[in-house]
Amino acid sequence: MDKLKIISWVLFIVSIGSILFALIFNPASWIVYTIALVSIPVSVLSFGIVGMAKGNKDDEEGKRREPFIGY
Amino acid sequence: MNLMLNILLNVFIAFFIGSILIGLQRKIMARIQGRPGPPVIQHLLHTLKFFIKESAFPKTAAMPFYVAITAMLFVIWVAAVIDGPVTEGSLLLIFAIYTIQKIGEHNAGSSSGSPYGKMSCVRAVYSAAAEVPLFAVLIIIYLKAGTMNISSIINYQSIHGPLLFTIPLAAIMFFVLILSKSQYSPFAITKGKDIVSGYETEHFGLLRGYLMISESIAWYMLLWVFLTVFLGPLSLPAYLIGMVVLSAIVAFINAVTPILNPNHSVMMQVSFAFIGIAGSIVLLMI
Repeated sequence: MDKLKIISWVLFIVSIGSILFALIFNPASWIVYTIALVSIPVSVLSFGIVGMAKGNKDDEEGKRREPFIGY
Repeated sequence: MNLMLNILLNVFIAFFIGSILIGLQRKIMARIQGRPGPPVIQHLLHTLKFFIKESAFPKTAAMPFYVAITAMLFVIWVAAVIDGPVTEGSLLLIFAIYTIQKIGEHNAGSSSGSPYGKMSCVRAVYSAAAEVPLFAVLIIIYLKAGTMNISSIINYQSIHGPLLFTIPLAAIMFFVLILSKSQYSPFAITKGKDIVSGYETEHFGLLRGYLMISESIAWYMLLWVFLTVFLGPLSLPAYLIGMVVLSAIVAFINAVTPILNPNHSVMMQVSFAFIGIAGSIVLLMI
């Protein structure tokens, strides 16, 4: 598993955990706002990175040999 | 209701209804142009589809900024939902959020390394010069209602009637702002097809889906703010009807109007802003 996937899994678990914490324990409003602002976007993004399809290993080389490498 | 549950529900509703309304807009545009058009749920399906598509990050992208900027756009729209439907807080915060969105568009374009993104990034700064004056509508609302607090504005309207009838030019200015933020709008120069998809060109796969969630929430919030600030206390069905009607009007205008070039777009919006501000002040003095 690459570094990006590991970080995404950790962020996903932490963000879902913090949302559940706010749902169950109903802390002070400012804590809930902070959790909502950070955890909702992070959970969606990390879920996306964890679930996204990866390119075929064989195609990887072809992509790297692409002569047009940037602007 | 539990505050977190309230926020989650509102964010989901904003995303879901926003997606459907954008889909509806495309459908209406297509029918006006004599095409069958995509299904109404197409935008929603696209958003979900992008999450399972193969994603890659371009070599030219400025990492981690390239990813972080998409998260920033999502954060500001969650903040808008909290400040709007959840707490009915300050209208000034909504103004700040729209301004940050312009910065987001600018940075998303510049972080990708694509020339289309960079062109869009320049246009984002350019169009901000036009949209910020349109937001001067807030001053007119403050002069009339004496408050910038959304719940106080709602209370004011429940006593004095909808602001739409007392400051109509301000409502028109805000409508032009809604129009400028819509997809395929004559003012949508940051995402004009002449620059492919503008700042979103190099954000594909998962990140495009992520940006599309922000877009859906943004569209819902624009309509919500318009209906709340100019029509006052509304029931849930009235909000839905209002949003559908506004989206249909925007779709009609977009279907029959070509995208303007950046100069004309900015000058036209500034003209609307000038007429709106000056006219509203004259109306307030009469």
